[in-house]
Amino acid sequence: MKVKLEKFGTTLLSRELGSEAFKAFQPTLLELSPSDELEIDFSGVLTLSPSWADEFLSPLLERLGERLVLLPSDNLSVQATLKILQEANKRPFKFR
Amino acid sequence: MEEKLIKISDAAEILGVSVDTLRRWDENGKLTAIKKEGGTHRYYREKDIEIFASDLFKFASDWINQGEEFPSTFYCPTSAVFQARLVKMERLLMEKPGFEKLYSLIVLVAGEIGDNSFAHNLGKWPDTQGIFFGYDVKKGVIVLADRGLGILETLRRVRADLSTHVKAVEVAFTEFLSGRAPEKRGNGLKLVREVVLAQPIDLFFTSGDAEIYLKGANKSFRVTRGPNVVRGCMAKINF
Repeated sequence: MKVKLEKFGTTLLSRELGSEAFKAFQPTLLELSPSDELEIDFSGVLTLSPSWADEFLSPLLERLGERLVLLPSDNLSVQATLKILQEANKRPFKFR
Repeated sequence: MEEKLIKISDAAEILGVSVDTLRRWDENGKLTAIKKEGGTHRYYREKDIEIFASDLFKFASDWINQGEEFPSTFYCPTSAVFQARLVKMERLLMEKPGFEKLYSLIVLVAGEIGDNSFAHNLGKWPDTQGIFFGYDVKKGVIVLADRGLGILETLRRVRADLSTHVKAVEVAFTEFLSGRAPEKRGNGLKLVREVVLAQPIDLFFTSGDAEIYLKGANKSFRVTRGPNVVRGCMAKINF
């Protein structure tokens, strides 16, 4: 299953909205079969902050582990945010 | 050619403050008005209003230190207003030549500092809720400020051993620790520091008597004790 983050907005900044996005995503997450991977597509996102991403990607990583797969992005804020989240979680993301 | 003069009511509208505030500012010399010969009405030069409105740092600093009123266009009472204004700034930055890629890191830095103010003071604002958020994309400056609890009081809730503003600000920018414990949080300001150190972005940040200056080509992270004690937090970003 692939999810385009831009569906949640193109400027993803606050903890509050990251947490809201994660809650809104729950019904879709239930449709993910136990063998399926969840791909995160960052295309179209203009700015991603560590606060937003920590509320959305960190719990997904905790729940799905290796089944969470991040697609490459050339956006500087996406790259910087993913780097710091891996340090904070002391756990690497799986990239495609 | 005679300079264009603006009536006090129009100047008040442009600046987003009351006519009474402008009268007070005239009396205390903060923004001097012009009176036509023999008249009592106050007028302003268009240019003076423009220059006055561009001193973002002074507005922010007078607000957090003395509670002075500032043009309402810089006020974000809620996180949602801040978010909307930040998106507007993002669009302007994307169009600035040379910032086609860097824009997202500048928005990230401003967004994290502003969001921090809201996240850590939610339900605990000592008086005025919300933040000052002013920017001038052309000049390359962003100013953010809040009259909140400040970094030391916020972090003391989870690190009771913190006793100075300097140590608290250092912890906020270097350790993965959140003022909203038991939530496992607190990576925003760490990333702000890393981004500013690596990119052509300068940052001045102050809370209490702690100050951080990250400026120029050979930046190094150091928190120092400044001469003033600032209420809440204040940041100036240059790019």
